[in-house]
Amino acid sequence: MTDLTLFTLMIGGYVGGALAACLFSRGALARWLAGVGAITGGAAALALGGGKLFDWSSASFTRIEVMGKTSIAGPLQGAGVVLIAHPLSALFLAIVGAIAIPAALYSIGYARDWEGRRSLRTPGVMLNLFLLSMSLVPLAESIFWFVLFWEGMAISSYLLVMTEADEPETVSAGNWYLGMTQFGLGFILAAFFLLLPPDGSGDFTALAKHAATLSPGLKSLVFVLALVGFGAKAGLVPLHVWLPSAHPAAPSHVSALMSGVMIKLGVYGVLLFGLRLLGGGPAWWGGLVLALGAVSALLGVLYALMEHDLKRLLAYHSIENIGIIFIGVGAGMMFLSYGLPALAVLGFVGGLYHTINHACFKGLLFLGAGSVLHATHTRNMEEMGGLIKRMPRTALFFLVGAAAISALPPLNGFVSEWVVFQALLGGATIPKREVAVLMPVAVAMLALASGLAAACFVKAFGITFLGIARSHEAEQAHEAPASMQVAMAALALACVVLGAAAYAMVPALARVVGGLAGLPPASAVTVGWSLGMPLSAPGAVGQISPLSILLGLVVLLAAIPMALWLFRASRALRVSDTWGCGRIAQTPRMQYTAAAFAEPLRRIFAALYRPTEDVSIDFHPESRYFVQSIAYRAHIIPWFERYLYDPVIDRVIAWAARVRAIQSGSLHAYLTYLVAALVIMLGLLMLWGS
Amino acid sequence: MPLPTGYTVAIAQTALALLLAPGLVGLIRWLKARLQNRRGAPVWQPYLELRKLFAKEVVVSSNASWLFRAAPFVVFASTVAVAFLVPVLAVPLPFDSVGDLLVVVYLLLLGTFFLALAGLDPGSAFGGMGSSREMTVAALSEPTVALAIFALALGAGSTNLGQIVARTMADPAAAVSPGYLLAFGALFVVTLAENGRLPVDNPATHLELTMIHEAMILEYSGRYLALIEWSAWLKVLLFFSLLGNLFVPWGVATVLTWAALGWALATLLAKLVVLAVALAVFETRVAKLRLFRVPELLAVSFVLAVLAITVSFLVR
Amino acid sequence: MDSAFGHLTVLGSSLVLLCGLTLLWRRGSAAHIGAFAAQSVALAATAGLIAVVTGSRELWVVAVILLGLKGILMPILLKRMDRRFGGPRELEPYVNTATSLVIGGLLVVLAYIVTWPILDVSRLPTRAGMPLAMGLIFVSLFVIISRKKALTQVIGFLALENGIALLAMLGTYGIPFIVEMGVFLDALMGFLVMQIVIYRIQETFESIDVEQLNRLSQ
Repeated sequence: MTDLTLFTLMIGGYVGGALAACLFSRGALARWLAGVGAITGGAAALALGGGKLFDWSSASFTRIEVMGKTSIAGPLQGAGVVLIAHPLSALFLAIVGAIAIPAALYSIGYARDWEGRRSLRTPGVMLNLFLLSMSLVPLAESIFWFVLFWEGMAISSYLLVMTEADEPETVSAGNWYLGMTQFGLGFILAAFFLLLPPDGSGDFTALAKHAATLSPGLKSLVFVLALVGFGAKAGLVPLHVWLPSAHPAAPSHVSALMSGVMIKLGVYGVLLFGLRLLGGGPAWWGGLVLALGAVSALLGVLYALMEHDLKRLLAYHSIENIGIIFIGVGAGMMFLSYGLPALAVLGFVGGLYHTINHACFKGLLFLGAGSVLHATHTRNMEEMGGLIKRMPRTALFFLVGAAAISALPPLNGFVSEWVVFQALLGGATIPKREVAVLMPVAVAMLALASGLAAACFVKAFGITFLGIARSHEAEQAHEAPASMQVAMAALALACVVLGAAAYAMVPALARVVGGLAGLPPASAVTVGWSLGMPLSAPGAVGQISPLSILLGLVVLLAAIPMALWLFRASRALRVSDTWGCGRIAQTPRMQYTAAAFAEPLRRIFAALYRPTEDVSIDFHPESRYFVQSIAYRAHIIPWFERYLYDPVIDRVIAWAARVRAIQSGSLHAYLTYLVAALVIMLGLLMLWGS
Repeated sequence: MPLPTGYTVAIAQTALALLLAPGLVGLIRWLKARLQNRRGAPVWQPYLELRKLFAKEVVVSSNASWLFRAAPFVVFASTVAVAFLVPVLAVPLPFDSVGDLLVVVYLLLLGTFFLALAGLDPGSAFGGMGSSREMTVAALSEPTVALAIFALALGAGSTNLGQIVARTMADPAAAVSPGYLLAFGALFVVTLAENGRLPVDNPATHLELTMIHEAMILEYSGRYLALIEWSAWLKVLLFFSLLGNLFVPWGVATVLTWAALGWALATLLAKLVVLAVALAVFETRVAKLRLFRVPELLAVSFVLAVLAITVSFLVR
Repeated sequence: MDSAFGHLTVLGSSLVLLCGLTLLWRRGSAAHIGAFAAQSVALAATAGLIAVVTGSRELWVVAVILLGLKGILMPILLKRMDRRFGGPRELEPYVNTATSLVIGGLLVVLAYIVTWPILDVSRLPTRAGMPLAMGLIFVSLFVIISRKKALTQVIGFLALENGIALLAMLGTYGIPFIVEMGVFLDALMGFLVMQIVIYRIQETFESIDVEQLNRLSQ
């Protein structure tokens, strides 16, 4: 299948799905057609992008200009959508397609709940448009089309977030989300316009050429603007505040897409500016990215620990993983500016690999959380428990996702974190010792973040699925519909395969960054094919073989029961009560709660959280020796919202109130404004004309 | 007699580690007893415990799920997998390119992860408490371990265990360099934390105020408990082997001849006995720390690791 | 730097620094005084080592004075002060223990960054220990700032002195004898003055919590 056919299939799939949802707005047909349309589009995208990544034969990418090429002068000029300009675009297109398929499949089952209650038109149409714009963002090769699809992505996702707009917190989440998106867009536009060449062409190749002639100060300004703009989309601290409210408010497959794919386009933007357009820069760019990444990783996981809303917990973990991705990217940029190309490739490979892996396991986790929400109608972990017996398959898939995000070998999360670690360890060879000695700090922060993530997911999985049901809904939970299960199974399988297939992924990813900004071209990277297919990344100081680890663990897991049988160990088993140390009955209230699980860490990091507790006890009216009920409330300070955003928002609202004074409501005032504006404009025209 | 191949040595060294582990823990217990003026159980008591446990019936809670029954196998499998990777007798073995020090650390985290989940499964308060504390201690010791690995890798130019051992053997002066000594100190504290020894956790107590590891496995019995106990003992032996063979590698066989392997076995036993004595004396001397003092101890080990790296940078 | 001498001096300096970090870790005056005594002994040993290798007689004298004055005499005086105005066993420091330790580690990294240019210039085999001595200086300053008990602050000041002496020894094989003696005398004088001041604080406020000095302004 040629590229053009795949592209047409992709567009056709998405548009077809949107139209179908528009026409049949209620009933099962709408769900199915919208879902199938999205799946077709996603499959085509995956084939198009993925095919390019693993196509070892073609040495260079051929450009097929598909649409939108304009010759109007100015920022509208330039190439439109191009297939495919660069391996980086192919990679992100593949990610969009890969996660679109399970998410769309999942939505078919998930939307069944909406049938009859609300119209399926908006969710169906917007899902397909969302996927369409996300697929086209990496393919756009000029400013106009890039921004068009970027905004399309933002607006369609906003409408998707507002699907279940019955609760007030959804509305607030939507407002925050829209505000931050527009804020980021402003910075992105500023960065683009600073790069405009004198003839005004918006084509990316023209921008790159012009950028080479700019002064270093201006280039740095452009990079910082781009970092702020795309960082707001990606969820870098301190621009992350929209993430924990927007992702939980959206339907689960939308959360999976937003968390797994949309924030990665922020990473794409930073790489686009840092490497393709600006061609690398001074070391402090990489250092800034690395520092922001390390802080995001640590803060993300620390706040995730304190959450007992399952989806908010996952959203904070997205912030953490974006931090890890930016640690890899930042390390790569630093090595690039210090003239260590092999290590730079390693850093970028680590960041990009983690991008793919995070898309997989975060998508899986959100779909799992959605199944739990679907079954128990609550997101609060404190009301769940014992779901592993009611929803065994969902629990198994969620476990795979939890193990992957906790970086447990041999799954994919571990392998990409290993590559990032290797890149940081290689940082000891940076010529500037003052900078090299700060690499251990980054290593320590990354290690702490990954350890805390494991603790957090023991809590998340354990409190949600294990133990005894803590509420009536949890007791009555049912397994998720088949389409949802298949979607989760596919992603779980992908997590395992992406880890074991590291020997193929790393060279493919090295090829993606090859040739950019002076990095060695892809042909310089070789892949080793010896026993166990070791993953020996270029420039790395270590060597592992995830495939062998997987095989070894499987063999051992099979061998141990066999050995026990061989040595005639007793096989007797009896089921009885949980040991109670003398108590008579066991109620669900006697288990550990999520807040209790996280309490040691809350105390240890009290300097960050500033926790406050509020215990109110209702005594029996007759005697103070008997307690009727105890209410316990614990709060932590949301530093960024309270001390960074609230003052700014208050200031803006105060200014806006003052400006509102011109809206006096009087017709004469408005007419006066019109005439005044006309007179001033004529005056200026006369001035400039002369 | 024909020379053994790399694979046979690897399998033999794992089997050896499995066989020696109960004896090592028995030795530590016996030494502690003698230091505390008691007679103590004989050194081979843990073997008898294992035999007893494997023959007993398993009692499983009615609230527990398949995860409770699978966890002992996962923990045991991951610890045995680590045994294949750690240089117990000889380097370099064929499995050296399969996993490096980071893989070892994260495989052990895999075991801890499943054990913590198994603590939450029966729905008891003890299990929840043990899981919560265990994951806290594990998470807080991660940065120290990562930095200690960094310090060792700086010197050896690789995180692969065979490389680190080879480098120290080639340059004996490096073994007494302050960087290595500080890293040893940091890793010793991590050994105490990861294996649940005093002053972090008391392996001999079953009081809810004082247990971490024991609280997680309180529900286990019979062959499951045997597997979990055995993997905990194996973990102690593997940590001792790491401490011994990474920092004092002389005796580790570099060629696979019977003489070299015999000498490696003898030096391994000697190092294990020395470390067992050191641990027994240390445990007898210190008292268990309150849970909220444990992060301070881990912070000390973190600072030691930071110093190790700084000093390694200096001496390069 | 591969020489045994270089390694041993770095080892000695590490021990001196570790004793300084123990001031951040352990609570209670007995532990602090013990740490200071151990630090002075380690410092004297390092001085002795350098004296042996370089054959400098002045350094021998310095080592002996360090051992006698700071290793034996001052701890005894400090213990006496503690017994007289010990007060409560520990006062909450401004920064908790784990955070202080992490900050201490970061200060050592900072010292390394600051001292690196000097390492490039110096040719002595003992230069590798200089960042550690600088680290001790920073850590002692941090001890003085972050602890509330006057006795601990005094011990921090004495550790600072040790750090400066170590830096001098490693950087230039010691400073001229007369300067060294002058510094010792200064330290002794300062110590005696501090004894008197602490006695007065204790008399006025019934405790040696330095926070109480705020009340003087009222």
